[in-house]
Amino acid sequence: MQSTPNYQLRRTIENLALYLATAVVLIVLAFPAYWLVTTAFKYEVDTIVSPPIIVPLRGTLENFRLVLGAPDIGRFFTNSVIVALTSTGFAILLGSLAAYALAKTYLGFALRQAIMFWILITRIYPPVTTAIPYFIIIRRLGISDTHFALILTHVTYSLPFVIWLMLGFFQDLPEEIEKAAIVDGCSLWQRFIHVILPLGLPGIAVTAIFTFIYSWNEFLYASMLTSVSAKTLPVVIAGYMSDKFLKWGEMSALASLMILPVMIFAALTQRYLVRGLTFGAVKE
Amino acid sequence: MPESKVIVQTYRRERTMSLLFMAPAVLFLLFTSVYPLLYSLRLSFFSWNMTVPNSHPVYIGWDNYTRLFSDSNFLASVRVTLIFVVVSVALEFLLGMMLALLATANVKAIGLIRTVLLIPLMMTPVVVGVLWRTLFHSTYGAINFFIGLIGIAPQPWVADPVQALPSVIAVEIWQQLPVVVFILAAGIQSLPIDLYKAARVDGASSWQIFREITLPLLRPVILVVLLLRIMDAFRVFDIIWTLTFGGPGRTTELLSILIYKSGLQFFQIGQASAMSWLFLLVIFFISIFFIRALQKRNR
Repeated sequence: MQSTPNYQLRRTIENLALYLATAVVLIVLAFPAYWLVTTAFKYEVDTIVSPPIIVPLRGTLENFRLVLGAPDIGRFFTNSVIVALTSTGFAILLGSLAAYALAKTYLGFALRQAIMFWILITRIYPPVTTAIPYFIIIRRLGISDTHFALILTHVTYSLPFVIWLMLGFFQDLPEEIEKAAIVDGCSLWQRFIHVILPLGLPGIAVTAIFTFIYSWNEFLYASMLTSVSAKTLPVVIAGYMSDKFLKWGEMSALASLMILPVMIFAALTQRYLVRGLTFGAVKE
Repeated sequence: MPESKVIVQTYRRERTMSLLFMAPAVLFLLFTSVYPLLYSLRLSFFSWNMTVPNSHPVYIGWDNYTRLFSDSNFLASVRVTLIFVVVSVALEFLLGMMLALLATANVKAIGLIRTVLLIPLMMTPVVVGVLWRTLFHSTYGAINFFIGLIGIAPQPWVADPVQALPSVIAVEIWQQLPVVVFILAAGIQSLPIDLYKAARVDGASSWQIFREITLPLLRPVILVVLLLRIMDAFRVFDIIWTLTFGGPGRTTELLSILIYKSGLQFFQIGQASAMSWLFLLVIFFISIFFIRALQKRNR
């Protein structure tokens, strides 16, 4: 190993440069969120000024009061919660059953591979490619602007993800307990209810959170399928761009409220983040 | 009853039960995914302008498809989409690799880096779009203020035909860079530490270690990251819709935006369905590689 003073100095300078570069990147990455949150607390006269106020010295809760006091905002919020919770529930119910069947070998290798392949394909296609058929079908069924229609599209999109992720979690469970249950004469259904579900609960919780976040954030189908009664928060936020673009304070306040639950959930599932991002292909 | 017969019976029962477990999900997806896609395939062979009252689809064979190859809007959109995907994924990968190496080499900073990266990643895409509109604003936005500090004149950013696409790519990188960092960092941390120690003892430089050990061992993870990011970049819709609406002109009109506009604003149903299917075929082709990589790891 070299340890001449010259080498030491070079290393220190290299390290310093690296830290500096990292600090710059982190500041650039963090600034937009800082801007969003500070704008939410700014007085209206302080949002639309040149030069912009980077470090606000005074703040107000007025934006939050206006946003929360707006007519219908309660309904839009409820819509978002209903759609996200119901579609998560459905996707987890259908998905964990299917994932368990795929994790076991009873169905045979070829059939399981084929089903997994097909299921993944349904998740991978761009959502816009089904936008037109969904729009027409849902209008024909007369269920436009209902929670039900939006939930259908969200479950379609999250179900394959749930199946793949749950499959990984189920495969990671220790086999001994289930083997003991088989010896005791438990059927597949009994094993699923009494062994797999309790053991797999952390995995189910993580998967549910990812699914909830997807549905909570989803915009394309929501903007296309809802107009008044089933409208969700992303559609409301996007509306700020067209008709009230200079209401930066209100827009930021609503956006901050909207991303708050997501950030809390994200912090809770940090440990499984990479798994969720890669459909279970890379585990931490 | 002989024991083997009991086993066979149990096995059959479990098999039937497994099929019942699969059935709800499979049936659901048949109705909500396979049927709409096949319906869209059918529509792609018809001419149908839904804005005309009581109009019906008219069969025109392959016309929608052949027309696309001479449709300048479609070809321009394909070009914009390819630039968007290639440039953003390439830069995300380079920057992401650097940050991942930094984060993993630096145990003290890893917590901070994680927290900072989580914010853009989890931000609702629609919020990202409207937020960056305010940041890019030519008079009141923060970006022109900061570049002004180092003496650069205010720029129009997303309002300018030339700057719009790079601006949109920058936002995409801002939001998706964390994906690359998180996945690569997880991959790097799972590499055998002994190899690194041995290489250090042999006097290998950091660059040599990266090229000869990290990079080759990380190949499966790199493949997953790249394919995942490519597929996701093709899908981007919300950010563009709220940030530029495909404009100015058609300079940021990605395929997903073009399909949405022609199908659900101008109601050229057949034409938009044909575009959807061409788009789908390309994504299918890329995704086959991704699924192969996934299934290999799951075996």
